Amino acid sequence: MLSFLNQRASKGEIVKMTVSSQVKVCYSSIKSAEATIQMLANKTQNKQTITAYKQAAQILSEVKVDLQEQVMYLLREEPQY
Amino acid sequence: MSIFEFISSIVLGGIVAFHSSDTTSPIMYGLIAMLIWFMIPFAVNFISLKKRSLRTFFQGKSTIFIQDGKVMEDNLKKEKFSTDDLLESLRAKDIFQVADVEFAVLEPSGLLNVLPKKENQPLTAKDLGLKLPPKKEPQTVIMDGEMILEPLANMSLNPNWLETELEKINVTIENVFIGQVDSDGQLTVDLYDDKIAVATPSEKPLLLATMKKCQADLELFALATENEQSKQIYEKNSEKLTKAIQLLAPILKN
Repeated sequence: MLSFLNQRASKGEIVKMTVSSQVKVCYSSIKSAEATIQMLANKTQNKQTITAYKQAAQILSEVKVDLQEQVMYLLREEPQY
Repeated sequence: MSIFEFISSIVLGGIVAFHSSDTTSPIMYGLIAMLIWFMIPFAVNFISLKKRSLRTFFQGKSTIFIQDGKVMEDNLKKEKFSTDDLLESLRAKDIFQVADVEFAVLEPSGLLNVLPKKENQPLTAKDLGLKLPPKKEPQTVIMDGEMILEPLANMSLNPNWLETELEKINVTIENVFIGQVDSDGQLTVDLYDDKIAVATPSEKPLLLATMKKCQADLELFALATENEQSKQIYEKNSEKLTKAIQLLAPILKN
């Protein structure tokens, strides 16, 4: 939230930096969610549920790859970070 | 219970009562009589299992009392059912108005079974178009503070897993009165010491919350960024996550 306040105050370097760290946080959350899904998929007995978990894990890993690229991109934009 | 079973059980009771109190009659006669009265319903059952027409003869037919929401007065008369009897039987099924009934049938056993009209039936997940994940029966893996191995093996889990799970919620196995594992592999316990608060499994709600948060974050990023390409990527992934949330929500919510 703070970053958006900053953004309004000044469209400076600080803003982009916080955005990149926010994206990083989101990226790691996705990673953790994916791991949790895989763990739950291992624990459950039900085949239908396992398929749903696997599909979701697949989607999340796609999102993860995209976000990783975004993190790299934002880091390149902000070399001093 | 069919009429044959009813009769034979009364007769059997009579024979036993008579021969146990009457010392003059030989016990052998009593045994023979009992054997015969055992055999008759047994034979009747056997025959009626084989043939449908005989089954309806021995066990009787069901009579339809209400069809398409209309009371069949002739059938009521045939079965010697008064209006009061019908209303009473309906009330036993929690129905107080005849208009609420689509179909009702009197079984040979004398029980009235009722199908209420669709709008008076309890709401089900199917009516709401909800997709619920199938749930299997939970297994009881701890009883009276002792681990039970067979149900644990049924869930393809091992004692080490159970020990780790107990460690996670910070209880010793001696303190557990009942411990059960549901089909998703979540352990729930009841302790001897009711003053200790036990953590309920929180993985699934946490996962759902994390996914929702990420999806909201991505939407925010898409709004905040000035780079057109990044914006598209964020939007695309936000949609993907929404799909994943929709996929998992029914599983994670229960």
